[in-house]
Amino acid sequence: MSFARTMALANRIIHQLLRDRRTLALIFLVPIAVMTLLYFVITSTSSTPTLALVRPTGEGSDRINTLIDNLLPNKVKTINIKADQVDATLNNGDADAAIIFPPGFAQQVFSGQNPTVQIKLEGSDPSVASAMSDLTKGFTRQLGVALAVLKAQQSQGQGQGQSQGGQAAPVSLGGPLPFTVGDPQYLHGGPQYTFTDSLAPVFIGVFSFFFVFLLTSVAFLRERSQGTIERVMVSPLKRTELVIGYIFGFASFALIQSLVVLLFVVFALQVHYSGNLALVFLVSALLTVGSVNLGIFLSTFAHNEFQIIQFIPLVFGVQVFLSGIFWPIAQLPAVLRPISYILPLTYANDALRGVMLKNESFGDISGQLTALLVFALAMIVLSSLTMRRQVA
Amino acid sequence: MTEAMPGTREEPGEGQKGQKPAEPVVVIERLVKDFGKLRAVNNLDMTIYTGETFGLIGPNGSGKTTLIRMLVGLLRPTGGTIRIMNERMPSARVAPHIGYMTQLSALYLDLTAKENMQFFCNIYGVHGKEQSRRISEMLERVELADRANDVVGNFSGGMRQRLSLACALVHNPRLALLDEPTVGVDPELRRSFWDYFAQLNKEGVTIIVSTHQLDEASRCSRLGLMRLGTWLAQDSPQALLRQSGKENMEDAYLHFADRQEALS
Repeated sequence: MSFARTMALANRIIHQLLRDRRTLALIFLVPIAVMTLLYFVITSTSSTPTLALVRPTGEGSDRINTLIDNLLPNKVKTINIKADQVDATLNNGDADAAIIFPPGFAQQVFSGQNPTVQIKLEGSDPSVASAMSDLTKGFTRQLGVALAVLKAQQSQGQGQGQSQGGQAAPVSLGGPLPFTVGDPQYLHGGPQYTFTDSLAPVFIGVFSFFFVFLLTSVAFLRERSQGTIERVMVSPLKRTELVIGYIFGFASFALIQSLVVLLFVVFALQVHYSGNLALVFLVSALLTVGSVNLGIFLSTFAHNEFQIIQFIPLVFGVQVFLSGIFWPIAQLPAVLRPISYILPLTYANDALRGVMLKNESFGDISGQLTALLVFALAMIVLSSLTMRRQVA
Repeated sequence: MTEAMPGTREEPGEGQKGQKPAEPVVVIERLVKDFGKLRAVNNLDMTIYTGETFGLIGPNGSGKTTLIRMLVGLLRPTGGTIRIMNERMPSARVAPHIGYMTQLSALYLDLTAKENMQFFCNIYGVHGKEQSRRISEMLERVELADRANDVVGNFSGGMRQRLSLACALVHNPRLALLDEPTVGVDPELRRSFWDYFAQLNKEGVTIIVSTHQLDEASRCSRLGLMRLGTWLAQDSPQALLRQSGKENMEDAYLHFADRQEALS
């Protein structure tokens, strides 16, 4: 393979893009405009969150657990876990929040020792974290009042027998509760994180993927319609050099675009960010390689630019809805979930959120990186196989 | 000389006698190309020698472009063989020595004339001072030196055609395949092109050119008259005129076409 020839191709593409000011404006300004819109417009979507409970155990806990079951809101799904499973459960995405009752909770409540109940939030989706924070605070408050009433009934029962027919003395809602609720702890992020913080990483991937796909498919279509692909295929330039030249040419713009979007969202929109910039770039680069080759592959089936536009709902629309950008994949209908798992943006979103919101390492996102690598290689094979059809 | 029959192999005509080039550059045997049920090229034989300009003459759909695309390796033949410079095609070793000009101008419209030529120089391995020299020489040749830094998208059809020719020849190929190179080019420049082709022939460059301009046919060393994917005749222009008993190539073509009809 000749590096000079490959770079000749990449340089040519860069020259062409620099000359096309409308396209340049498109790839840099549109993402910024959309991110700004997102920042101001986005509202949270409704979903069924999951609450993990480390239930009270030991003497007297049956009554409290019955109270808990009665007071839990219907709109939340609950699972029971042990104290040492809290972080793993939240990290795996099996629950959005946990309420941890300490050992001997019932005894401490009834003996007036004022135990502390801890709330822990997963935190990577700030809108879910905020909703769960409100929900758990409301629930623990209700439980506290109910336990206060129960305690009052008990003390009255002990002091006056059944003379008052079990009627409880009024309990002041503002009065001290029989247990304390600690400030919510966050596994990821914190109370300062907003919904925009969780979308910003995802949209870096979305923009890379979408614009590179659009540019490559149109550029390759033009190579065919203007006849230049014939000249290139007759020349000593090998198919692999052609594919790699295209990747270099477009990936350079995609990475600059990622950087511009990243800097804009971090410094201008001031979204919260905690992660390794190099890993963000690695995900973007892998996604771009796949996207360039998907563009080359699909351009084989288009005869003009308008037909390329027709691929957008297929390539882009499906991924926006099914790759976990707005709705977690676990909450999608079961029939759609298999589609989610074959979409490259699913893995890119997961990796970018992992890096930027959860400060995940290379090892943490190795699964997603592998999936993106497989996608990129598959697209290279497909685009190379259809290269001959481009000129036939 | 007897009349050339469809599918026959002819050596350079009498116009080349006495200076017959010894070495065959292109040899095709029993070449066939089918597109589904359509036979676009039917059992063609042809040998072209070093330093010839071989003209492919025929109406649209006669198989000229299909033949050229098979010669450069863009299409795989359904049957038969193609050998270029003693290599069976497609061959990566031959690719650097071929110059190809398509019917479309095949240029990057958002690059300048010079940038287009630089790109093609780079992929053909022409670098440095040699690249600058070749680009200047070719731009002079096609009379675009003063437009070297203009974006090709602003060029007229004729200017694009001239630049396209320059790009096809900028790497100094040993074999040039030119599909309708003079379409949209004014008569004066067309004459200049043909003078240049003759000069290239003297330098040992072999040219295969397809054309609709029958008046240009007389500038070729030999002609292959094509119809429905087969040869009507192959020989020098003078020999073809004499064999047909006609005074111009248009009438000669129609004579050979009528004869093929009568034989079938």
